[in-house]
Amino acid sequence: MVRNTGIAVLCRAVFVCFVFSLLTVFSIDVNPASAQSPAGRDVSQGESLNGAVPGNTTGGVSDSEFWRQVRSGAAGGLVPLVQSQGDEWSRWRGPLQTYGGWILAVVVGIILIYFAIRGRMRIEGGRTGMVIPRFSLTQRVAHWVIAILFVILGLSGLAIMFGRFVLIPVFGKDGFAAIASLSLQAHNLFGPLFVPAVIALFITFLRGNGFKMHDLKWIMKGGGFFGVHASSEKYNFGEKSWFWWAILTGIALSVTGLIMVLPGLGFERGTMQIANVIHTAAAILFMAVGIGHMYVGTIGIEGALEGMTRGTVDVNWAKEHHDMWYEQHADEATPDVAAAEAQAADGKV
Amino acid sequence: MNDANQSGHAIPWFTDFAEGPLWYVAATVFVFGVLWRIVGLLALGRGEDKSVPKQSGMAGGIKAILLHSVPHGGFFTHTAFHVIAGYMFHIGLFALLFFAAPHVDFLRERVLGFGWTPLPDWAFIVAAQISFAGLILLWVRRVADPVIRRLKDAHDYIGSGLTFLVMLTGCFALQESRPVLAGIHMFTVDIWLIYFPFSRLMHAFTFLFSRYYTGAFYGRRGVTP
Ligand code: HEM
Repeated sequence: MVRNTGIAVLCRAVFVCFVFSLLTVFSIDVNPASAQSPAGRDVSQGESLNGAVPGNTTGGVSDSEFWRQVRSGAAGGLVPLVQSQGDEWSRWRGPLQTYGGWILAVVVGIILIYFAIRGRMRIEGGRTGMVIPRFSLTQRVAHWVIAILFVILGLSGLAIMFGRFVLIPVFGKDGFAAIASLSLQAHNLFGPLFVPAVIALFITFLRGNGFKMHDLKWIMKGGGFFGVHASSEKYNFGEKSWFWWAILTGIALSVTGLIMVLPGLGFERGTMQIANVIHTAAAILFMAVGIGHMYVGTIGIEGALEGMTRGTVDVNWAKEHHDMWYEQHADEATPDVAAAEAQAADGKV
Repeated sequence: MNDANQSGHAIPWFTDFAEGPLWYVAATVFVFGVLWRIVGLLALGRGEDKSVPKQSGMAGGIKAILLHSVPHGGFFTHTAFHVIAGYMFHIGLFALLFFAAPHVDFLRERVLGFGWTPLPDWAFIVAAQISFAGLILLWVRRVADPVIRRLKDAHDYIGSGLTFLVMLTGCFALQESRPVLAGIHMFTVDIWLIYFPFSRLMHAFTFLFSRYYTGAFYGRRGVTP
């Protein structure tokens, strides 16, 4: 953490000067020829230069050889500072920002267009007032913890990645500097909490999320998004895919995030650069689908959200979206909402 | 908080206001408000207890304070969640409130005139993470549990929401690079201090009294609360 930027910049400048002087010394050390004049004559003894420029002006070692040595670590621990992979890293980062931005924009666009054309998917038969327990308290706690982290990390991550392009025009450079600072701190502080949250999500939602043959039928029917009823068990193919998608990208985000946030682990800068590229890509993939999940979970599908808040869903919602699951639980349908909520909380789902 | 000056950025009026006049108002309201509430509570006294004492009320009171601080009585599976998350939140909050370097500096410079050794930066961050995790867990359960949801009212959400905001803006200001961020944190602290005496946040002081009172009442009757 940089406590005082002025001092930090000064320290960095001193350190860079120090390293460059070391480099110079090093290049002289490994090349005795460097102490000689271009003509190969030793000019250090005060001998007449006869008009020649003093010192080793063209260097005693070729540039490529010099940088090869620096890169291979021959320069004794200087690799992390003078490191040409940085160029490769920025070559990756640029397109990731561009295409990542486009992917997210396209996802939001598709959702908006879908919503504009088809609107909210209503419970066709209307609410019955009879409910069925759907998610246990443990599942709901695990879900909302990761959802809260998703929002905090997503917003701060987006500000870090796209803020320069999107926020500077709105808030100006000073405003953006403050937003960038707070985003980075929030991202670093909340990031590690995401790791146990992913594990908890995996454990609590694993059951029922295995793919089955009948998921193919759901896909063939367009998941019910285009007016045709698509049968499903407790989780449909879309939800199952989201579960595995979230877990896989979540693991990638966790591992690469920890590598970056804990430099004390001793990973080299090169590893951190690779981690950064994977982290960015995984974050975009995670968010792209996550935004769709948020949409169907809230305004997209009437009656879905209460399953995750209260723990119970309306019987007609269950029939229309998860008919095979409904058949298994039809006998639990009750008008006593409080009792059904208590049953759900107890984990009898 | 004055580190803001060191960063070389001009202090915005907002930060000046939050660290100056508003802070004095907030600190005054907090100190007098808390004293008022505690003195008022003690002045209420206890009604005359006509029961025949079976044992000392004081022993029961002290027992209750200690016993209620740990899970007891065979209900652990039911209370594990809020005991663990509760301790995570409160211990983390205590550590970062009183042992984070910027807080120790603030207390020394602006309140007490003396300080103590702060936690190293990494420990401060870990304390904040533990505290945030505890608060989020408690919050989510509060909304999702059918019983607790029905017991809670707006004040519970305002109190914990403000505390969360104070912590979040503190996290935002961690880099100590922009005075405006320190100002926003300080502003939420001021609001929190003003709200404190009139809210359930008072439990930070009153939990000892209430536990002692219940413990003494039952202890006098020979019952372990
Ligand atoms: C922040 C906004 C979010 C909202 C509003 C939301 C909403 C919902 C809702 C309403 C359901 C119930 C669907 C049903 O009854 O079948 C659900 C299920 C689920 N959500 Fe979310 N969610 C959010 C974020 C997340 C995140 C960030 C993750 C994972 C990292 C996640 C993972 C899941 C999983 C695993 C399920 C169970 C269904 C399945 O296995 O796919 N959710 N969500």
